[in-house]
Parts: sequence; structure tokens; C-alpha cells
Amino acid sequence: MPAQPKAKIYQEEWERRLHDVQVSKDDLNRLVMDYLVIEGYKSAAEEFSKEAALDAPVDFDSIENRMNIREALQRGDVGDAITRVNDLNPDILDTNPSLYFRLQQQRLIEYIRQGKVADALQFAQDELAPRGEESPEFLAELERTMALLAFESSPLMPSSVSELLSPAQRLKTAAEVNAAILESLSQGKEAKLVGLLRLLCWGEAMLEERADLPKLDLNDGTFGERATR
Amino acid sequence: MSARQSRSASIPIPPTSVARSLENVIPMSFSPNPVPRPRLSSVGTSASLNLNRGIPPSISRSVSGSYASAIGAVPRGRTAGPVRTNAAPAPVFEPRIIRATTSPTPSHDVVCNHAQSPPTSPTRSRRLSSGVRSQSALGPGFPPHRAPAPAHSSHLTGHGFPRPAYLEYSSLHDMLHTEAGSSTLVTGTRSSTYTVPGHDARVTASPAPPVIPYPYFRRELTPVLDSDDESIATPPPPAVGAVTVISTNTVLMLPTRWSEQDRLPSLSVSGDGRELTFTGPSCIGDRESSAARTNHAIPPACGVYYYEVEILHKCPKGPISVGFSGPEVRLSRLPGWEKNSWGYHADDGWAFPGHKDGSPYGPTFDTGDVIGCGIDFSQNRVFYTKNGGFLGMVFENVGKGIDVYPSVGMRQTNESIRANFGSSPFKFAIEEHIRAQRDVVWNNIMETPVDWRLLGVGPRKAEEERKMVGDEKTTCKGLLEDEESRAPLRKLVLAYLAHHGYARTARAFQRQSGGETRGALDATDIQPKTEPLDEDFKMAVDDAPAVASAPGAFNLESDGDLSFDRELNTRLSITNAIVRGDIESALLLIGTHHPTVLEREQGLIHFRLRCRKFVELVLDAGEALRRVKEAERSVTPKAAPTAPLEGEDIVGTMDGVGAMDVDDPSPEAQPFSSTSVLVVSPSASTRPPSALSSAPSAPSPVQSTHAELSDAARTSLHTALSFGQTLETDYKNDTRPSVRAHLRRTFGVVAYDDPLAAGGEVAEIAGQSARNTLAAEVNQAILESQGRPAHPALETLFRQAGACVTQLGLLGVGAAAFADVRKEFIEG
Repeated sequence: MPAQPKAKIYQEEWERRLHDVQVSKDDLNRLVMDYLVIEGYKSAAEEFSKEAALDAPVDFDSIENRMNIREALQRGDVGDAITRVNDLNPDILDTNPSLYFRLQQQRLIEYIRQGKVADALQFAQDELAPRGEESPEFLAELERTMALLAFESSPLMPSSVSELLSPAQRLKTAAEVNAAILESLSQGKEAKLVGLLRLLCWGEAMLEERADLPKLDLNDGTFGERATR
Repeated sequence: MSARQSRSASIPIPPTSVARSLENVIPMSFSPNPVPRPRLSSVGTSASLNLNRGIPPSISRSVSGSYASAIGAVPRGRTAGPVRTNAAPAPVFEPRIIRATTSPTPSHDVVCNHAQSPPTSPTRSRRLSSGVRSQSALGPGFPPHRAPAPAHSSHLTGHGFPRPAYLEYSSLHDMLHTEAGSSTLVTGTRSSTYTVPGHDARVTASPAPPVIPYPYFRRELTPVLDSDDESIATPPPPAVGAVTVISTNTVLMLPTRWSEQDRLPSLSVSGDGRELTFTGPSCIGDRESSAARTNHAIPPACGVYYYEVEILHKCPKGPISVGFSGPEVRLSRLPGWEKNSWGYHADDGWAFPGHKDGSPYGPTFDTGDVIGCGIDFSQNRVFYTKNGGFLGMVFENVGKGIDVYPSVGMRQTNESIRANFGSSPFKFAIEEHIRAQRDVVWNNIMETPVDWRLLGVGPRKAEEERKMVGDEKTTCKGLLEDEESRAPLRKLVLAYLAHHGYARTARAFQRQSGGETRGALDATDIQPKTEPLDEDFKMAVDDAPAVASAPGAFNLESDGDLSFDRELNTRLSITNAIVRGDIESALLLIGTHHPTVLEREQGLIHFRLRCRKFVELVLDAGEALRRVKEAERSVTPKAAPTAPLEGEDIVGTMDGVGAMDVDDPSPEAQPFSSTSVLVVSPSASTRPPSALSSAPSAPSPVQSTHAELSDAARTSLHTALSFGQTLETDYKNDTRPSVRAHLRRTFGVVAYDDPLAAGGEVAEIAGQSARNTLAAEVNQAILESQGRPAHPALETLFRQAGACVTQLGLLGVGAAAFADVRKEFIEG
């Protein structure tokens, strides 16, 4: 195909475009509310529904339940988390074997973190090994986790293994559980704000291929080279 | 191919060669906020369509009739179809018109013009074998017949239909117009529909807070009512070699009929523009055909465009071709045989991608079949349907870099087709198809990893994030799993809450996110190299002293702490005071805490506030007079508040205020009143009238109460008028047109008994919404004076995303049509 010349978009034109985007404060408030709910900021969501006169999209208690589960996982109390998830809706784990595996894996990690080597081995044999046989993916994960024992606190531990002990791993597991619960409540698995960011990244990348557009600094709304680019 | 010549005199083509798909941009007024309207119209459409569907169409009858008559010898150059009578009762979209009337008497010499030897040897010898008889001497460049331009005007008469419902799936559907749609839009006045962007019926219907206009541009001097283009004053960008679209005026025209000009004369177009009949002598040999295109190209902003063609009559050997073609493609060839054309052929079911090397694609089709042609701009591919059944995707790179038009070609005498460009229901369930396609595209977009640099997060983090997302994408689809990616979002939300003064929410939010990060921090002891999480929020929790928000040095990093609390509270008191109508308190607070705000833009904000103060004084005076009247009427001394300060809740009448003693300038001008305003605490002034009336008021004799009331009324009137005089004096030398206009409107309030009840501009100036607007502007001005953005980053982000999508759609990226920002994030 013939290479189309890149279109040049002038700042005035782009400002006009920005202006034309239909959005009201109320719209944005609802985006924020969605974020607060999905991310589990219960008290903030409650306050916001009062201050911005917005109806809450969900029961605030459900936020709290979800957050308790997340906190349990972030504490490393996987057993508590599993109990709570099952209290909430047993279908969530029953219908999602890979999520259940992740939780069990997290439990194994916590054993190892606490130095309970014997417990860890026992647990791995009883609970995880049978699942590892079910799927090669599970098996690989199991092996990666067991490598934690092999390296112990050796500086040679590869980062792919050591990262299992990082708080990010806990957060990741917590996020997956969170998403599964949200899905069971027929809510989006991630905040719409995140989706908006994804759309923006997609759109800007596509547009930059086709047009020179003025750089807009999202933080202060001014045009000019984006500082961090 | 990229540089096209202008094709037809009747369709305006801007001189810019890159203005692909923009040639249909016709500046005209229309509302950028027609959310409720298209819905309504589409409802109406579907209703009438159903009605129409219920009528057994006369098609089968007329088809067989036309076929029968075609068997009999029909003189060349005359229409073959039988004269159709208006058999079906009142078909809405199909006025029966005798076809021959509109066809410019074709000369059969022209009919069978043909191309010279094709560059590639034809692969389909079968058709060649049908005989190479009547070779004409005409060269390949024989121009297609073009009727004189005036015929174009007939397009506008009578055959319009609303935008087909399936196009509502396009995120840019507001820009897509049929001629009928646009003609109704012309009547709407711009100022009434344009001025309050972002508010549709749905928003205002909810029991939401008062509607606050929410424009993106810098605050405009004039309130909503006049904020038309003049005040925004964005000059159209220079048009040299660039795509220049004045976006609010973007109108993309949809194909609605076969073009009277863009066809070979051997094809006659029916009066309603939907039927094509081959009136010339049958073409013999592959090189001769007759094709037609529609009146407009297909805007890629459709996402998917679809039309159907009913084969009214096909000769046994006729290779009718249905498809698409570019504007410069020779019409003497069937679509699909020439470069930049794509066609599906009736006689063998093959699909031709722009040259004679076609390939088997679908079934053959014949008289009575309905063939659907869709183009999917998100893949730049085409699909066909036959009698409502999907035949699969075909072709590649369709419509990349060129405009495409629906196009049909025929070769045999009396062959005819009837196209449905969306005026009546389709055989194929196009909406389901589009929905499915949209979901695919959208899910794909939603897999895009987030580049946190957008939010000003350091590049290092962004790289880590990117790596991480890349690694983990398969397992968890880029869920936000780590703290690093959540912190920027938190800042974004916090900045938004602070911007709009949601103080309690912001505090609760900080409390929780602070605790959360701490919890995460506690868990990090194993992994010391983890970076310190979110220091701002730690600081917030530790109640760290304000990191001085030096003007100009604002960034989100320093905004995370609670220092914004004090600042926020002041800002809130100011805006709340304005919303209450307590301008004096607001001015006092601004003067104390944000003195620079009053100087901004040569005192514009100060001017606005003072004008508002005058309006409030006038309203107070009116209210006081109304009390006097009330007291005169009733013996019972009703609530007789002496403070003439209730600016709000004035809904009562103001009988007799029109007779205000305007000619009593009262030189002593009661300067005390303005100080008394200062003395009165804001809380007292804002107490609702009910509270005041329930307050124990001194039981005084009627006369004295009345006298007090009269005094108060006179006083407040004098206050108002003298303030007005000061205002006039202070600004009489300010020649800024906006200042003059605003001053004029402000003083206009005096002329009304009850400005709030007067309606129109006056009520607009005096009413609560003007207060809210002013409060929002002052809020913005304060933030700007601190070097903060005029709009919260969250809003800018939303607008940027929406603008990107729109621009992409206009540049021909079909996927953008399936990225509906509002539908996905606001309405969904």
C-alpha cells in the first residue's frame, strides 16, 4: 500500500477535539466510584456516594468481604482467605481450578517463607503434586515454587524464583482472587479507569503511527513534550 | 493511488490529498451532543421499518414480470422492466417510479465500450469463449458518462432515510449522516444545543447535583448562554497540506443511493436511487461491462458498513458483480476485475480481489437472491451474505488508503438489481455480526498494556511494568497485580477528588490506601530490595507537614500528602460561598488566601465575582420588597428576618419591584450595608428561610415590623443600586467586548420583577446554575493560580482517549469505531 503521509494535527484542532469529547463531572464521578468499589476502598466509596450524591453500584458490605479476603492474602493467611472465599460463594473456587491452584501455591510459598520445610513438603505432596499431574502448567509452577527450597537464601537464587517471595506475588494472587470474586458478582474484573488507560495507550500508539499530534501532558493538561517521554 | 484527482464536480473534494474520507466533511451546524436524539429517531425507524416489513413486497411479482418481459424482445436503449404500478399499499421507502424516466437516454454506442487487452491473461477462458464479437474502437480511457451536476439536487428530494440502526454501534455514529438525517439537523440552532457539553437527558434526569456546565476550554467570560464559537475564538487551523477538521462540524455522509453521475449511461438509475437496470445491449466479451457507484464513499468511521442487493433480474449468462470500488476505478469493468475494486460474481460465485485472478468463494446467485456486502474497516476485509446467510470473510487490505464505494456491475440487457442501503431491514442479522466483531476488537484493545509513563511515572517503573505485563500476559491478562501500577492510579484519583473538593472522600481514600501500602510494606522484610512503596501516602498517614505547594512546582508527588487538606478546605469554603450566593464572603476568603486569583486575566475573575455580587444584591432587594408586600397583605407578622441576605430559594414573585425607585440614586448610598454583609456570618446568611421563620422572632406590632421591613427593603435597594454604580464606574473604561457584554447582561437583571421567573437569558444570569458555573470557574482559577492544572488529570485522560478514538476514526482506522469511550466506561 502507498505510505500515507502523516497528517499533522494542530494544537488548536486538538484542543477542539478534546473539548468535543462529551464528559461531565457526573460521568467522571461514576468512573471514580467504580474505581473505589473495584479496588475495594469501602469507606472512601461510602463517603463519595454521599459527597457526590451518587448511588453505590454495589452493597458496601460486599466490598468489605472482598477486602478481608485480599488482606488475608496480603498477610499471608491463605487458609483464612480460602475459607472466606468459600463462605462468600463456593462456586468461585470450584469452577476455577487454576485459581485454586494459585491459592494453594501461595500457601506453599508461605510455608517456605516461614521456614516450615517439613510442612511445605508434606503440603506439596498432598495437595499440589496431584494437580501438577493434571496440567503441565501447574507442574511448571510447582517446580518453580519448590526451587525456593533448593536455593533457600542463597544469593544464587534466580530472580524468577525469588520473586515468588516478594510481596508482589501476594498482591498478584490477591488480585486474581479479587477479579474472580468480582466476576462472580458480575462486575468488571478491573476498574474502568484501567480500561480507559489501556484504550488511551492503544489509541495514542495507533495515532502516532498516522499523525503528528501535539503532545499533551495529562497531568497538567498543557501541551508540550511529555516530560517523561 | 494516494494522490487522487477530484472525481466528480458534485461531491466536494478538498484539495488535500491526505484528507482521506474527509471529502464528505461539510461544515454545518449540528449538535455534538445528540445522544437522546438518534435513539429516538432509530426507534421511530425500526417501528416504521417493521411496518414496512409487514407489507408483502411486490418484488416477487415484479421480478417475474420483468423476467417475462425480458424474454420478449425489447428494443435497445429502452428500459426493459415493466411499468410498476403502486401495488403495495403505501411503501414508506419505495416510491414507485417508472425507471425509464430518470435514465438519460443512453446511446448504445457508448454502452459496450471496453478496455483494451488486459495486462494479465484471463484465467477464465469460459467467459471468453462466449464470443468476442463486437469490439468497438473505443480506447481504454473512455470516460464514464457523467450527467450534468444539477441532477444532484434530486438526491435530496424525497428518498431520505435515517441512519441505519446497525451504525449505532460505531463510536462515531454521531458524525454519520444520511441526507435525511442531516436535513433535520440543520434546523437545530447551534447555541441552544451546543453550549452545555456533556449533559444529556440521562444525566439531568437523575437526582444528581445541579447541572454544572463542564466545558474543556478555559473559562469563558460569558456564561453558558453565549458561549458560542466567538467567545472560544479558536481560529481554524491553517489548511496547508494537513488534515484540518473543525470537529464539531464533522459530517460524514453515508451512501444512500446510486449516483446519477458515477455510472455508465447504460445503467439507468431509478428515481429513488436504489435500482439499477442495464438498458444497453448485452456486452459480449469480458472487457465490456457497466458499473455504478453510490453517491458517497463509505466513511471508515462506520467500523462495518453493509448493504444488500436484490437481484431483480439476471440473464442466464450474466456475471453480475457485487462489491466495492475506489473512486477512480473504470466503470466499464465489473467490480473485482480492476485494481482497487472487489467483487463477488453471480455466474460462478468467485471473488475477485482487483484483478482477473479470482478464486472460488461462494455459491452462484440468480434472480431473486439477496446478496449482502459488508466491509469491515477494523480488518480491512469484506464479507458477503446470500439470502441472510454469512458466506465468510474475503479479500485483504480493502479500503486501505483509498475511499471505497458500494459498486455493482452488470453486462446483460435488462438485468437489474435493487440495493438496500439501510432504508429497510436487512435479510442478514448485521447487528449481531457487528456486536460480535466489536467485542473482538474491544477485547483486543483491552489487552493493551498500560504505559504508566502516561501518568508521569518514572521510566524505570514503566519498563518494569512493561516487562512484567509482557511476561505475565498469557497467565493473567495484564491484571493490575502489583503495587507499582496501582500507585499512579491512586494518585490520579486522589488528585481528582482534591480538585473537585471531595474532602471527606479524599481523606477516607488516603487513610485506606495508606494503611494498605503499609500492610504491603510490612510484608517486604524478606525482600529488602523492593522499592519503598508510595512515599507520598506514607507521608500522608504520618501527617507530614505540608510540602509547600510552590506555585508552578506542583506535581502529583507532592499532592499526596494531607497538606492539601487546609488548602482544600479554604477552596471549598470559597466555592460553597459562591454556590450559596454569598459572594462577599467568597471575595474576602479569596482576598485572604488567594489574592492573585483576583488579578488573573486582568481582573476577570474579580469582575465576574463583583457582577455576581450585584446580581445577588438585586435579588435580595427584590426579596425584601416582596416581604414588604407580604407584610402589607397579611396581618400576621410572618417571619420577618431583617437580614436581606437570602439569595437563594427566591422563587416567589416580586410584585412591584419593576417600579423600583431607579431614579432615586440616594447619594448617601448606604455604605454600611456592605460592611454589614461582612459582619453577618456566612452560616446565618445561608440558613434556609424555614429555619429563619421558625426562629423566635421578636413579637413586635405589625406597624413596626412593616416599617422595619420597608426600611430593610429600601436599604437593600440602595445598596444594590449604589453597588451597581460603582461597578459601572469601575469598568466603564474596560473595553474588552466580553466585559462589556457581561456587564450589559448583568445590569439587565434590574429590569425584571423577578429575574428568576423571567426565564431565558435573565434567569440564566440570575439563577443557581450561574452561581455553580462561577464557583467552578473560581475553583479552576484558584487551582491554576497555584500552578495546578485547570482540569484534573483524570478528565484530561478521558478526553484524550476520546479524542484519539475520534481522530483515528476520521483517519480511517476502523477499529476506532468499535472503541466507544462513553458506552464502555460511562454508560456500560
